[in-house]
Amino acid sequence: MESKQIEQLLEKYWNAETSLEEEQQLRDFFRSESIPEGMKETAELFRYFDHQKKVQLTEPSFDGNVVRKISANRPAAKSVKMYFNYARIAAGLVVVVAATYFVGQEVRKSYPAEVTDTYSDPKLAFEETKKAFMMLSKGFGKARQESQKIKLFNEAEQKIQGKQATKEEEITI
Amino acid sequence: MNLEAFENRVLPTKNKLFRFAFRMLGSSEEAKDVVQEVLIKVWNGREQMAEVQNMEAWCMRITKNLSLDKLRSQQRRPTDSIDERFDVRNEALSPHENTELNESMLSINRLIAALPEKQRQVIHLRDIEGYSYNEICEMLELDMSQVKVSLFRARNAVREKLVKMNAYGI
Repeated sequence: MESKQIEQLLEKYWNAETSLEEEQQLRDFFRSESIPEGMKETAELFRYFDHQKKVQLTEPSFDGNVVRKISANRPAAKSVKMYFNYARIAAGLVVVVAATYFVGQEVRKSYPAEVTDTYSDPKLAFEETKKAFMMLSKGFGKARQESQKIKLFNEAEQKIQGKQATKEEEITI
Repeated sequence: MNLEAFENRVLPTKNKLFRFAFRMLGSSEEAKDVVQEVLIKVWNGREQMAEVQNMEAWCMRITKNLSLDKLRSQQRRPTDSIDERFDVRNEALSPHENTELNESMLSINRLIAALPEKQRQVIHLRDIEGYSYNEICEMLELDMSQVKVSLFRARNAVREKLVKMNAYGI
C-alpha cells in the first residue's frame, strides 16, 4: 500500500473516522516489516494492540472450575429452598396442633364433669324437688304481696293526678 | 440454555472478557475473579438470555459492571491511593507476559492505563477487540456520540503522548 494512502488513513484514524475495515488495513500494514521512519511509534502502537489481543486467561482449571460451580450451584440451591418451604409448613402445623391440644386441656379442666345423680330413691328425689318448688312458689307469693303494695301506690298516684288534671281543666275553663 | 450450549457459546468469550476486565482492573487475579463471576451470573440468568440478541455484548456489559463494582470497593479502602493502583497495574503482568512486552510497549501500556476510564474502555473495545460502534454502545450503555467522542479523545491523547515519547525518547 502506498504510504501516502496510509498517511491519509492514519489521519482519519486519529480523528476517529475510520471504519473497521480501514482499521484492519492499518493493522495489516503495520504488521509488515517495511515501515517508514516517521511512523515507528504508530507502528509500535498497532503492534501493541495486536499483542494485547493475544492475552489469554491462562489457567487450565478455569473452565472446569466454572462448570463445576454452575452445575453444583443450581440444584443445591433449589433443594435447600424446597426443604425450607416444607419446614415452614411443618412448623406451622406443629404450632396449630400443639395449641389445640393445650387449649382443649384447659377447657376440660375448667368445666366440671357431667352432673351425676344425687338421689338413688325416686320418692325421696320427688319430695326434695317438691320442697324446692314450694320454696320457689313461697318466694313468688311473697313477691306478689309486696308488689300489691306498689300497685296501691300506683292507684293512689293516678287518683291524685286525675284530680289535679280536672282542677287544671276547671281553671282553664 | 443447557450446559452444552453454555460451554459452546458463553465459555469461549472468557478471553475477551478477561482482557477487558484486566484493562479496567489492572490485576490479572481480580480480572479472573470477575470473569468467573460473570460466567456464573450469565448461567444463573440464562432464562432471560433467550431474549438477548448479542450474547457477547451482554457478557461484556456484565463484565464492565462487575469490574466497576470492584474498582469502587477498592477505592473505598483508604489505603489504596490511585498511584498505588497504577504501580500494581504495571507489575500485574505475569513474568511471562512481561518478557513479551518490550520497553516501548510497556510505556504504551502505561499511557493507556492513565487514560480516563471511559476512554480506556472505548479504545480497548475498538482498537484491540475490534468491535463496531453499535456493539460498544451496547456494552458500555452509552450513546453513539459519547462513544465516538471518547474514542476521539483517547486516540488523540495516545497520539500526543507517542509524539512526546518520540521527541524525548522516553
